[in-house]
Amino acid sequence: MGKLQAQGINAAAITYDSREVLANFGEAYKIGYPLLSDAGSKVIREFGIFNTNIPPDHKMMYGIPWPGDYLIAPDGAVRDKWFLPSYEHRPSASEAALRHFDGDRGNSVRIEAGVVNATVTLSTDRCFPGQELGLLLEVRLEPGWHVYGQPLPAQYQAIELRLESPLIGEQSLELPAAHPLLLKALGETLPVYAGGFKAHGKVGIKWSPPMPAKFLEPLGNRIEPGLYQITGTLRFQACGDDICETPQSVKFELPLTVDAGIPPAPKKTA
Amino acid sequence: MDAQRKATILHGVIGKMTAGGADIQTAEWVEFVEAQNDGYRTGPAIGAKVPEFTLPDQTGRSRPLHDLMGPNGLLLVFSRSADW
Repeated sequence: MGKLQAQGINAAAITYDSREVLANFGEAYKIGYPLLSDAGSKVIREFGIFNTNIPPDHKMMYGIPWPGDYLIAPDGAVRDKWFLPSYEHRPSASEAALRHFDGDRGNSVRIEAGVVNATVTLSTDRCFPGQELGLLLEVRLEPGWHVYGQPLPAQYQAIELRLESPLIGEQSLELPAAHPLLLKALGETLPVYAGGFKAHGKVGIKWSPPMPAKFLEPLGNRIEPGLYQITGTLRFQACGDDICETPQSVKFELPLTVDAGIPPAPKKTA
Repeated sequence: MDAQRKATILHGVIGKMTAGGADIQTAEWVEFVEAQNDGYRTGPAIGAKVPEFTLPDQTGRSRPLHDLMGPNGLLLVFSRSADW
C-alpha cells in the first residue's frame, strides 16, 4: 500500500461486515486506510460482483462478493482490475503499483551480460501464500545489437524469462511484438528486439493450506513463513550486424519473504 | 454445478467446519471452493465508470467515493469478510 500512496493513490476496502466488525479488525491490525461497511451488500450488488452462488439461507456467507481489486482513476473510470479464478488466490497492491506507476523498485536484480543489460523486478519482497505478484523485465541492448523474439526456428534462442521456485505456481510474461529483421549473415528474416523493451508479467505464489487439516494435505504443501530465494533464468541470443553469439543462460536470485496468513481479529467480549 | 448442489455443499462444509472439521473429505473441499467461484464476475469493464456510492468507514464516518479518491486514483479492494 505504501508504494501506491507515494504515487498519490489511496486505498480502501469494502466488505459486507458491520461497522463494529471492521472497527475491531482495523484496531487489531492497525489498518491505516478506510474499511467500508456494505452491510446488506448494496454496493457489492451495484458493482455486479455479488456472489450469486451462495444460497440466500446461508447465514454466514450470503452477501459476499467475488473478491477482487479495482484501480479507479480520479474521474471514476476503471483503469485496471484484478479478479482471480479462485478466492484462494488474491492480487497484491504491489502488482498495481509496478504495472501502472514507476514506483519503488525494492526487489530488483540487474543482469549484465555483454551487450545485454537487463533488470528483473518482482513487485514486492513480502507476500502471503496465494498472492499474485507483478513481474517486470526491462532489457537494454548495445547499439547495433539485438536479441531474438518469437516466433523463431528451433535452432535459435528467443529471449525468455523463467522463475524457478517451489513457491511459484503460474507465471506469465507479456512480451511486446518483436520486429522482423533481415539478417544478412544468415540470409533469414527473423523477429528481433533492438534498443530495448519492457515486459510486464504475473507470478502466482502457491496457495498454502490455511490450517493443518488431513483433508487439505492432498491439495498442496504448507508454505512455511520465512525468507526464500527465488531463482530465475534469463535466456537469450544476442546478434550484431556481422556476428551472432551463442545462446546465453543467466541465472539470478531474488529474495522473497513469505508472511503467515492473517487470522480473523480476536472477538471482543462485551 | 447446479444451484441445489452448491447450496448443499456450502451448507454441508460450513456445518462440518463449525463442528471441528474432522470429517471433511478432500473432494468435498474442492467442490466447496468450486461452488463459490463458479461463474465469477468482475463488474465494470476497464474504461467504464464505477457506480457512485457512499458507505460508512470503521470509525462511522460517511465516505462518498470522491472523498476516498487520492489525487491520482483509488485502489478499491472487495474482500469477502474481515470476520472469518
